[in-house]
Parts: sequence; C-alpha cells; structure tokens
Amino acid sequence: MGKFTKDEIFKAISTVIDPEVGFNLVEMGLIYDASSDDEGNVKVTMTLSTKACPLHQMILQWVKEAVEKLPGVKEVDVEVVWEPAWNISMADDNVKKALGA
Amino acid sequence: MMKISQEFAPPFKLIAPFFILGSIFFVLATLFLYTFDLATISYTNPQLIAFSHLFLLGFVMMIIFGAMAQLVPVVLEVGHFGVELFYAIWPLLLVGLLMMVYGFLDSAALLPYGGMVVLISMMIFVAEIFLTIFKVEKLTLVMSSVLISNTFLFFGIIFGLLMALSFAGTLSLNIEALLSAHVYAVLGGYIAITIMGLSIVLIPMFTLAHSFSMRPLEIAMWMMSIAVVLVIVGSLAEIEWFNYIGYFLAPIAMGIYFSLIYTLYKTRPRKENDVYALSVIFSYLSMLGSIALFAIYFLTEKENFLLAAGWLFFFGFFAFLITGHLYKIIPFLVWFERFSPLVGKQKVPMLADMVPPRASEAQLLFSSVGVLIVTAAIIAGSNEFLYAGASFLLMGSLAFVRNVFYMINFK
Repeated sequence: MGKFTKDEIFKAISTVIDPEVGFNLVEMGLIYDASSDDEGNVKVTMTLSTKACPLHQMILQWVKEAVEKLPGVKEVDVEVVWEPAWNISMADDNVKKALGA
Repeated sequence: MMKISQEFAPPFKLIAPFFILGSIFFVLATLFLYTFDLATISYTNPQLIAFSHLFLLGFVMMIIFGAMAQLVPVVLEVGHFGVELFYAIWPLLLVGLLMMVYGFLDSAALLPYGGMVVLISMMIFVAEIFLTIFKVEKLTLVMSSVLISNTFLFFGIIFGLLMALSFAGTLSLNIEALLSAHVYAVLGGYIAITIMGLSIVLIPMFTLAHSFSMRPLEIAMWMMSIAVVLVIVGSLAEIEWFNYIGYFLAPIAMGIYFSLIYTLYKTRPRKENDVYALSVIFSYLSMLGSIALFAIYFLTEKENFLLAAGWLFFFGFFAFLITGHLYKIIPFLVWFERFSPLVGKQKVPMLADMVPPRASEAQLLFSSVGVLIVTAAIIAGSNEFLYAGASFLLMGSLAFVRNVFYMINFK
C-alpha cells in the first residue's frame, strides 16, 4: 500500500479533459493504472486514443500536473503504452452513450 | 514506450496565411463560375484551365500546404526539417498563381514565368517534406503515402512547367500528352494519395474509430500509383493502352479506398453528425457520384459528363473534405496557441465551442446545394442553373470565409 490509492490518483487525473471530445481522461478509459510508493512517488500508465495525437506531450504534462496537486507527491512518472490499444469499450457508459457508440 | 515528437504545432502565424488565402480563393473560384458559358465550354478551354488552377492551386493546394505544416510532424512523428520555409511557400504560390491565371486568360507569354514561380514554391515544399522524411527511421504505410505523393507532385509540376513553356511557344512539345501526365500526376498522384494517407490518420482521430485493417489503403495507394505511372508513361511514350489501363485502375483504387472509409463510418464510436462529419460524408458521396459520371462519360463519350465528373470531384470531393477538416484543424491550432497554456489555471473552451454552429451549418447547406445544382447544370447544359448554383456556392463560400475568420479570432 503506497501513500496514495489508485482511486485518489485517478480522481486527480479526472480533472484533465480532452478538448476534442470533452470528456476527462479517466472516463475515456485512457488511464490504465496508477500506483504510488510510501514516499509519494507516483507512476501512471496510460494510453491515447490515437498514436498520431498532436496533443500527446501536452496531455502527459497535464496528467503530471494534475497528480502533482495531490498533497505530498514527490515524483510523477507518466508512461504511455500502446498495448492494449485503446478502444471505446474501455470508456465509461456515460461516454459511450454521449458519443452514440 | 514509443516517443513522439513534441514539435507538432508550428506557430499559427505561419499557417494562417495559407488558410486565409485558401478560403479567399475558394470565393474567387466560385465567382469565376459566372463567367462560363456552358455552350462553349470544353476541358481544353483556357478559361476552364484558368478556373481549375485558381481552384486547385489557390484553394486546394494552398490549404493542403498549410495543413501539411502541422500534419507532417503528426504523421511522420518527427519534427520538420525547416518549418520556416513555409513562410516562403505561400507568397511564391500566390504570385505564381495570379500570373498563371492571367496567363491562361489573356497573356500566354506570362505562363512560363508564373509556372516557374509556382514551381519554385512547390520545390521548396517538396524539398522540405523530403528532408523531413529522411529523418524518419522506419516508414509506415501512411508515411510512405507522403513520400509517394510528393514524388508525384515533383514530376507533376515539371510536366506542368514544360506544358506552360509549350503553351507560350518557347518549346514545341505535345501539350495534350503533357496535360494527361500533369493532371494524373497532380490529381491522382499527389492530391488523391495525400488524401488517402492523411484521411486514415485524421478520420479515426476525430471519430475514435479503431481496430481496422490498413490493407485496403495499401492496395488503393499502390493501385493509384500504378495507374498514375501508366498514364504518364502511356501519354509521353504514346502507348494508348497504358492510358486506358490507368484510367480503369484509378477509379477502382478510389473505390477500394472508399471501402475503408465506409468501414470507418460504420464502426465509428463517435456518431455525432457535426459539420465536420456531414462535410466528410458529402465529400465521399460526391466522390462516388464523380466516379459514376466518369463511367457514364466512358460509355457515352459525351463531354458534359466528363466535365460534371471533374466538377463533382473538385468542388464536391476535394472542397468538402478540405472545408470539413478545417473546422477541426483551425480550432486545434488556435486552441493550442491561445488556450493550452491556460489549462488548469482557468476554464478553457472545448475545440467544438470554437466552430460557429449556425454559420457552419449554413455554409454546408448552401455549398452542398450549390454543388448539386451546378452538377445538374453541366449535365443539362443550362447556364441558368449554372448561375443559380453559383449563387448558392457564393453564399456558402462567403460563409466559409466568415467562419475561418471567426475561428482564427476566437477569444
């Protein structure tokens, strides 16, 4: 058990909105995992809906800044993975419903 | 973990002139329609050639070049070799284009000079793209499409310049053969293959489509490339059956490409029909309509069907694909520059908020009705319908200019 729970980190990241679709990254299903150690170092594993996303670096920065707002955070490491590839089934039901999927 | 370059959004002041000029040329091309008399029009008519260049160079190429300044790093996943070169591209293209249009209409002697200026502009563009591609370690299919299309552009503009020199009387070459080679290299080789490659990046990005096979794109791209090479060789070497195979393969390639677009459409998770989606749908339906009209032309040999097919391909397929995508690309660039630094500090707009809803719908409605009326007018040979359609298109293109400025100035 680290300093922050997965839910706490996810809640912090849920303030980051994708400006194209208008949903936060967590409800889009783009955040795969998050964990922290006892000292407050946080690791986030996420993906993007497309490899060619022009906001790639910026979204990573937003995620990092959102997590850094948690009190007592030391380092935030955001890793982007492409496996498993994102698909709409990973999104929350409200997202699917709003998109018409 | 895959690294992707950060240099994805060049300064908007570099790209904005392309989009502003492109949208103004869209209006000018529409106004040009009022000068036509369908009783005397023919595909070799200098007036029609002037119009084609005004539309293709002024609107289509101007906007593609501007868009490529932003999209090349997105597609190639490396930064530009020298994005500042784009500052030189649009002024040269503008001057060269105006000289060429005037040359076609009134002064053939001006054509080689205008052609040369356009050639310099495009050579800078092609060189910049090639030098950027050389930075890529491993080419994907989409990256290959950029390489192939720009190679065809290189040859296409050489053929164009040779034609301009022949038109002016400086050289005495077979203009008709060069025309075929030029048209196929630029339209099929550059614009169509560019559209194939970029659309397979952009459409899934905006519709969230995923898990589709790229095989149809691969087949379509190679088939189109073979078709273009066959027409070029067939025209220049006077091997007529090469041309016919090329004429046959090109629409099949577009059909295969369409099958992939249809798959994306059917499987897209994002089903909202905003102005982007509707523009793209109209664009591809126009492409199908154009192919059908080409087929009718080959069966009947009536030139009005060829002209209607060309019209629908230009103003239906190209124009709506471009205008639709600009409703996504311009807000992104403006947002990136103006609002992205404010994320987390204050409320920022969503990209969709930056598109004027009613004016964009009006543009789509007027433009699509205009395109259909002009298509019918060309088939029927009716000038009255032509001018009526032009009036709808004029309203649509003016709305488009207004929307471009609205998005650029969004605060």
